[in-house]
Amino acid sequence: MRRLLVCLAAAAALAFVATGCGGNTDPIPDGTVGGKKVVDFPADLLRKELMARHTPGVDANSTLFGYRAYRIEYETVDEEGLPVRASGLMVVPTDYGTTAADAQKIAFMRQKGFSLVSDSHGTIFADREAPTVEANQTLAPSGAPVVLTAMGGFVTLQADYIGFGASRGKVHPYLLRRSSAAATVDFIRAAREFAAKNHIPLNGQLYLTGYSEGGYVAMAALQELETEGEPVVAAAPMAGPYMLDQMGRGVLASDTIGVPSFMADVAYAYAHSYGHPISELVKEPYASKLPALFDGSRDRSSIDAALTHVTSELFTDTVITQVLDANSSYWFYGTLQANSTAYWGPHTPVKLVQCMGDDVVPFQISQATASVMHDRFGAADVSVVPVEAALTGDPATTLRYGHAECAPYAYGVIAHIFSQIRRATVGY
Amino acid sequence: MKRSILVICSSAVVIAGGYKIPEQSLEGMALSAARIAHGTGADTAYYNPANMAFLVPQLHFLETDLTFVTLPKIDYDGMQIFPPATIVPADAKSEKEFAVFPTFHYVDRAHGKWRWGVSLTAPVGQTHRWHSPIQGAFAQKFYLMTAELNPSLSYRLSDTLAIAAGLRLVYSEGEVDSDANAIGVPIKRQMKGDTVEAGYNLALAWHPGNGWELGITYRSKIDLAEKGTANLYLGGAGNRYSARVTVPMPAALDIGIAKSFDNWTVELDYERTFWSSYKTLDFRYDTPIPPALVPYFDDPKPKNWRDTNTYRLGITYRYSDRLTLMGGLAYDETPVPAHSLSYELPDADAWIVSAGFRWKQNDHLHWGVALLYDHKKKRTITLQDRNEYGIDGTFKHEQAILVTAGFEYTF
Repeated sequence: MRRLLVCLAAAAALAFVATGCGGNTDPIPDGTVGGKKVVDFPADLLRKELMARHTPGVDANSTLFGYRAYRIEYETVDEEGLPVRASGLMVVPTDYGTTAADAQKIAFMRQKGFSLVSDSHGTIFADREAPTVEANQTLAPSGAPVVLTAMGGFVTLQADYIGFGASRGKVHPYLLRRSSAAATVDFIRAAREFAAKNHIPLNGQLYLTGYSEGGYVAMAALQELETEGEPVVAAAPMAGPYMLDQMGRGVLASDTIGVPSFMADVAYAYAHSYGHPISELVKEPYASKLPALFDGSRDRSSIDAALTHVTSELFTDTVITQVLDANSSYWFYGTLQANSTAYWGPHTPVKLVQCMGDDVVPFQISQATASVMHDRFGAADVSVVPVEAALTGDPATTLRYGHAECAPYAYGVIAHIFSQIRRATVGY
Repeated sequence: MKRSILVICSSAVVIAGGYKIPEQSLEGMALSAARIAHGTGADTAYYNPANMAFLVPQLHFLETDLTFVTLPKIDYDGMQIFPPATIVPADAKSEKEFAVFPTFHYVDRAHGKWRWGVSLTAPVGQTHRWHSPIQGAFAQKFYLMTAELNPSLSYRLSDTLAIAAGLRLVYSEGEVDSDANAIGVPIKRQMKGDTVEAGYNLALAWHPGNGWELGITYRSKIDLAEKGTANLYLGGAGNRYSARVTVPMPAALDIGIAKSFDNWTVELDYERTFWSSYKTLDFRYDTPIPPALVPYFDDPKPKNWRDTNTYRLGITYRYSDRLTLMGGLAYDETPVPAHSLSYELPDADAWIVSAGFRWKQNDHLHWGVALLYDHKKKRTITLQDRNEYGIDGTFKHEQAILVTAGFEYTF
C-alpha cells in the first residue's frame, strides 16, 4: 500500500505542460455536444512520458487509461447571486492507446458507470493556469487528473472558478463560500448533463476533493450539496483554510508574510464583494495596484514581487488590530467567520488530508476543524489523515512535507481512499 | 475573380528545380523554355518582354494554352531515422498526380516605340502526396500553386535594341497536411493559406543583325507570405490557429543567345536562379501552440538551398510555310541540399527533353502541341548527410510528363 501511494503521488506531480501564454484559438468541430474536446491523449504515449520521467510505479504493465478532457461552459452565480457564465474541465478515462487488458477494464467500467471526483484546484492567479485554459493551450494531460482519471479511472471535474476561463474579467471570489460552492456544484450538475448528452456513463457516485483553496472549496461544495440533499459518497478536502478567521489572525499576527499574494487576494476579493474600499484593508501604494495585479495576467511570483512581505506595510493598522482582537462586529473579521467552512457538521464521511509539515496552512487547522465539526456540530465521521503518516505507515514518522511539495502525495492518498470505497461499492 | 483563377489553376506541379515552372507557353514547352533571346509571338510578354518591340508593329498577338501534367509515382527505397536512434524500413511510393493549368499571353500593337503586353501564368507550383505511414507523417499532402499576372511595357531604343519592365502580381495558395498517427505519434496538422504579392521584371533584347539575337531578363524575388489557418492536433484533440509562413519565389537571371539561319533557329539559354534566399521554413502562429507540438510544427526548419544553374537548348525548324517543328533539351540543377531534402520535395538534378509543332491554320491562327519529359536523377541521401527529416535512402523514378495545346491569334 505504501508503495502504491507513493507511486500515485509521484505521478500527480506530472506536468507535461510547458510554460506559455494562453491564447485565443478557434475550436474545430469534433462532434461533442455542449462542450469542446480539449485533450484526447493516448495511454501508450502517456505511459511513455511517465516512464521517461522515471515515474515510480509506472511500467509497461501498470494500469493506465487514455485521457480525454472536455471544456464545458455552464451557468452559475456570483457572491451577489447574479448569473455568471463559467467554465470547467471534465476528464474522462478512455481506451485510446491502452493495452488490451486495460481496454477490457474500461469496458467493464463503462458498463458499471464511472464515478465522479470533483477536484477543486488550488490558488491560481493567472488565467492561463485555469484548468480549461491550460488544457486548451497544451492539448496535453496535466496534474491531478493524471492520477485520478488516467491511473484511477475516475471522471474528474475541475471548475475554473469565477474569474477564470469563461468568466475571466470578473473578480475571483477568493475564499468566499457562497460563490465558491456554487461554481463547483453547478459544474457538477452541468457535467452530469454533458455526460448524458455525450454517452459518458456515470454511476451516480460523487466524491469531493481539492487542495489548498480547493480544499476550502470542496468543503463549501459539500455543505451546499448536503443542504440540497445531493448525496456525496465521501469527501477528502486537502490542506484547506477551513477556519478563515483563525487563518487570518495567524497571518496578521506575523511580522512578515511568506506569500503576501494570498492574503492580499483575500482582502481584495472581500472588499470587492462586501462593497468596501480596498484601502480600508491594504495600505498604499499596494492598494491601488491590486486591480492590475489580480487581473488574471500575472502569476503568483510576479504578484508577490510587487508586494511587500512586511505585514504592517501591506495591511492597515485597523484591520490588523481588529482581526487580532477577533472583533466579530468588524466587517472583515465577521465575514471571515461567516465564510469559514469549518463550522458545521457534515453527514458525509470526511477525511481531512494534510501534511503535518504544511508551511502555509497549518496542520492544526485540519485538526481543529475535525474537532469542531465533531464536538460542536455532531459530525459522525470526520477524521484527519496526515499524509506523511499515510505514506510511511508510521504515525510517529518525522517525515514532513511543506504545502507545495505535499500536494502530489496528498492526491495519491485520496486517490487510494476513493478507489477503496469504489471497489467496495461499485465492484471495480 | 481571384477565386475563379484559383479554381482554374487548382493544381500545380513541380517540373523544374525547386518549385519553379519555367514552361508557360506552347513554344516554351516545346523548346524547354529556351525562349529568352528569340521571340515570335505573344509569349514574349512573359519570356522576354523587350522582344515585344521587335514583333510586327501593326499586329495584336494573343495566345492561350492548356497544359496537362502527369507526375508518376516517386519510389522511395530506404530507411527512416527517428531520433535518437531508431531506424525503420520506409520503402514507399508517392501518389500519382495529375494537374491542368492554363496560361494566357497578349501583346498589343506598337504605339510608336512603346508596346505593352500581359501574361497570366503559373510560374511556381508543387504538389506531392504520400499515403504511406512514414512519409505521411511528414507530407501527407504538400501543395503550392500560384497565378501570376504580369503586365509589361517595352521601349525600342533603336532598330536593334529594346528594353522592358514589368509588374508581377502573384496570387498563391498553399496547403500542408501531415499525420503521424499511423506510426504511433499522435500528431496531425492541416494548414492552408494564401497571399497576394508583387514584384517586378526587367528585360533587354538586342538584335544586332545577321540572324543573331541576345536576350537578358531578370525577375525579382517575391516572398510568398502565406497567411491562413492551421488545425493542429495532439492525440484526438486540436485547435485552429492563425498561421503564416513565407516561402520565396526566387530571383532569376536569364541570358539567351539565338542564331537564325536558313529555316533554323538555335537558342542557348543560361539561367541562374537565386534559391539561396530560401534559408528556413518557419511557420508562425498568432497564439502559442501546444508545447508538445512546437518541435514538429513551430521550430524553424533549416533549408539553406543553393543557387542553381540551368542550361537550355532550343531548336526551331520551319519545315514549311505552315509547319514549324521544335525541340528542346535542358539540364536543371536542384537547389535542395541533401541535409534539408524532404518528402515534400524530393528534388534532384534533371534532364529535360521536349518537342512540339506549330501549325499555321491561316494568316491569323496558329495552333500546336508540345510534349515535355522531365527526368530527375536518382537522389540518394545517406546517414552522412545528416538529413533534417531522418531520410536515409534513395528517391527514384521522379519524373513529369507535360502536354501543352496552344492557340495563337494575330489580328
